[in-house]
Amino acid sequence: MIELIGDKILWNWWSPVWLVALLVAIAYGRRFGWKNHAKTAWLTTGLAVLVFAFVSPLGVLADGFLFSAHMIQHLLLLLVVPLCLVLSLPAVKSGAFPPAGRLSRLLSKPVAGWFLGLGAMWFWHVPAFCNAATESYAIGIVRSVSFLLTGILFWWPIYSPSKESRLPASNAVVYLFSACLGCTLLGIYITFTTITVCPAFASPEERLAMMTALYDAGMTSAVDQQLGGLLMWVPPCSLYVFAIISVLCRWYSVDDTEALALQDKTMVEASS
Amino acid sequence: MSASSAEASGETPSKDPVSGRLLSWVSTVDHKKIGILYISTALVFLGIGGLEALLIRVQLLFPNNTFLSPGLFNQMFTMHGTTMVFLVGMPVLIGFQNYFVPLMIGARDVAFPRLNAMSYWLLPFGGILLYFSFMTGQAPDAGWFSYAPLSTKPYNLMPAQDYWIIGLICLGIGSVAAAINIFVTVLQCRAPGMSLQRVPLFVWMSLMTAILTILALPALNAALAMLMIDRLLGAAFFEPARGGSALLWQHYFWVFGHPEVYILILPAFGMISEVIPVFSRKPIYGYAFVAGSSAVIVLLSYGVWAHHMFAVGLGMGADMFFAVGTLLIALPTGLKIFNWTATMWGGSIRLTTSMMFAVAFLLEFVIGGLTGVMFAAVPIDWQLTDTYFVVGHFHYVLIGGTVFGVFSATYYWFPKMTGRMLSERLGKWQLWLWVFGLNATFLSQHVLGVMGMPRRVYTYTEPGWMALNAIAGAGAVAMAAGTLVLLLNVWVSLRKGERSGDNPWGGFTLEWATTSPPPPENFDVIPRVESRRPVWDLDHPDSADSKLEKTPEDNGWRPDKSVTSVWAFVASEAMFFLLLLVSYVVFNTDQTGDIRSASVLDVTRTGLFSIALLGSSFTLWRAESLLKAGRIPQFRRWLMLTIVLGSIFIGGQAIEYYGLISSDVTIDDNLFTATFFTVTGFHGLHVIVGLIALSILLGLAVKQDRNVLSGTALKAVGVYWHFVDVVWIAVFCIIYLRFLQ
Repeated sequence: MIELIGDKILWNWWSPVWLVALLVAIAYGRRFGWKNHAKTAWLTTGLAVLVFAFVSPLGVLADGFLFSAHMIQHLLLLLVVPLCLVLSLPAVKSGAFPPAGRLSRLLSKPVAGWFLGLGAMWFWHVPAFCNAATESYAIGIVRSVSFLLTGILFWWPIYSPSKESRLPASNAVVYLFSACLGCTLLGIYITFTTITVCPAFASPEERLAMMTALYDAGMTSAVDQQLGGLLMWVPPCSLYVFAIISVLCRWYSVDDTEALALQDKTMVEASS
Repeated sequence: MSASSAEASGETPSKDPVSGRLLSWVSTVDHKKIGILYISTALVFLGIGGLEALLIRVQLLFPNNTFLSPGLFNQMFTMHGTTMVFLVGMPVLIGFQNYFVPLMIGARDVAFPRLNAMSYWLLPFGGILLYFSFMTGQAPDAGWFSYAPLSTKPYNLMPAQDYWIIGLICLGIGSVAAAINIFVTVLQCRAPGMSLQRVPLFVWMSLMTAILTILALPALNAALAMLMIDRLLGAAFFEPARGGSALLWQHYFWVFGHPEVYILILPAFGMISEVIPVFSRKPIYGYAFVAGSSAVIVLLSYGVWAHHMFAVGLGMGADMFFAVGTLLIALPTGLKIFNWTATMWGGSIRLTTSMMFAVAFLLEFVIGGLTGVMFAAVPIDWQLTDTYFVVGHFHYVLIGGTVFGVFSATYYWFPKMTGRMLSERLGKWQLWLWVFGLNATFLSQHVLGVMGMPRRVYTYTEPGWMALNAIAGAGAVAMAAGTLVLLLNVWVSLRKGERSGDNPWGGFTLEWATTSPPPPENFDVIPRVESRRPVWDLDHPDSADSKLEKTPEDNGWRPDKSVTSVWAFVASEAMFFLLLLVSYVVFNTDQTGDIRSASVLDVTRTGLFSIALLGSSFTLWRAESLLKAGRIPQFRRWLMLTIVLGSIFIGGQAIEYYGLISSDVTIDDNLFTATFFTVTGFHGLHVIVGLIALSILLGLAVKQDRNVLSGTALKAVGVYWHFVDVVWIAVFCIIYLRFLQ
């Protein structure tokens, strides 16, 4: 197996994702600088995961060979990379992100983040769209970009750098828990359905040596899809649970007087 | 609340003192009396369920015994399990929550006292329905989880199973109503200064249990509704012979069943989290961890149900993921043991009976917990599933955990409830009888399970199993004797027990700030809360917690109780419809045959009626804003229009049903018709309920009722009505537009 992963075909060293990562890093450096090491570490992690998702065998196998590899890539792009990017933004004082236009005000609403984040998950697993994005390079890029953007919108109400735009703890828990329910349903559907969710993976055009080895080890396309469904189901929910734990920690900590005063305000607004 | 306290104080005994006192109990809406009613009812059923357990033990005392017939044995273990879970475990915990949650948060009553009475009365009603099955000649006998197809008509012709279903639906509705009540009470009725980060841990655990109940019980109700439709209307959801899926029942049952385990254990966690600190003279170690990890348990408990189904062949992948999930949930549960131990560490411990039961809880629950972790390993599960090892495991959890927690709470809170102390001497007798009984019975069963003795089989031939079964029988007798000692203790104490005073244990939380027993209105003056131990602060102003440790301040905001309760109800209903829709998708992914969605449904016509329903959401929204603006006549007109549009939708559905049924498309044709009529039928029922609620509002609005004109009632009904519309959008997309097929 080791020599199979070492196979040159399985590594996509010339992926344009390097360029994207570089541009993001430059933009970040110019805007925020590199002083805060913790924040820089989040950015580095995020970009490293982004590059890994496309350059490593994972990215190659996700490109029409293994549904489960596609699912891992999907989760990295939709959940892990955006989470790291949002966490890499330095904390700002209240009012630093004034919602300018009507659109940005709408996008900063939790409802938008929830529906777009979950929507991206569901939309790209409609068989027709999943197939199209796997077979066409351009649609594939659209899909990856939409994952990253909706992912950022999804995490914004939880980890926004401005405390003002974060959800109060109780709402944040509901937000994350219902998101877990959403991906659980999709995961259950993909795991147990008799339909082939993404036919492109069931009959790849060319066979890699790796694929033959996996097939011999029992990785048929049905098992592949089941594994994909379980990946859709359990890891995101685990991530949401960890996010809930961090929200609860924030809630129980005392010196967060600012957040409390804020919670006050939002709740009064909600009740009126 | 003022109305309820007025009622409580208005309970003047009538001329005949006996019937007056009886009437005051039957008609009560006081949370304390209802709590006692819950606990007493649970005690009655504990006697019945315990008797059933003793009969089982007698039958298994020696090989080839014929004391119980095989059929009667099946009925006994089915009724024992069902009784202990639904008629003893849940009611006794709800009873304690009912009594103590309002006291501990400084409230005068629960949020909805009348709803509380209804929740309680559904309990004896459901229990009697369940036990009435004996009159039909046979009690339910398909096990407490009634696996299909054993519970379906071809295998179970007697009406007993129907009694089981209807009884459980009653109990389920009562439990959800009680849970919504507790949920709203904790959120809305807290004393000033008591932020949610300061509530006593028993209150927090009650809140978590309420959330679990609200979201888990609908799974059981959906499954029960489907099973009932199978049995009474001839559908085939769970009959594999006609295309149904027996496994679907297992999935639905355990989606409810696993959270149910935590519904039974979290309040017990809360109880010993109150007892251990008080008898160690220390605050709990790691309050935030104990509370927060319980929230995590709530979330994780919905994701591990399939570990009850490792043996059915879900596939390697699924087994692996559920095994990992199961190991994960052991963390927030197991680590709490260290919190309780660390609370005792260095404390000045008083080993009262209550404290001793709490310590016994820690020891026995660890045994039950560890064997639970063993089952997370799939191969071990395959080897031991359906043996007495499983029986031993969950009895350690439920007795070592839940029952010992309840006993600990009984000795702790009995003085508050009655004003008299229980005897410590008799208490220790009870403790040791139960500790001996638990270990004798269920440790033996662990060994028997490893030796291969299967559960649910009426006898055995192996002579080598007799000795251990005899020990198990002796243990059961000891536990029964321990229970009799408790009853004796209560009896003696009520007659001539030592007076307890307001705060006999030096307790920390608000229930100890009032008299024992508390007056109907609970508190004359509600003390201001500034820390997690308000009564400690009052008694020890120099070393008050509020001076030593900062906790998040209360911001004073409380949600509106009617709107909150409707949101909780809607969440519960959403789970119910979700599971019904899942069953539709499961059975209709690839439709073949003459009768299917594409061939019998008229999408255009139903689409038009759907527009009427969705339009009614808009008109209701319009009515709400007109009411807010104070334009009453216009508001009434728009409300009327909403009712008309809703009625048009129902009329449309009636026409559709009439057309289908007259062309001989009925619920028992195939799985499409079964799922179609179930989903749309339940939705239609909800629309009708919504229409009734709206009509009542309209009637009251015409009469210028102040509650309606203030807007909260309309807002609450509005939440429900919009929810019904959203469900219809999902139903229309999935069934009529055939998404996900």
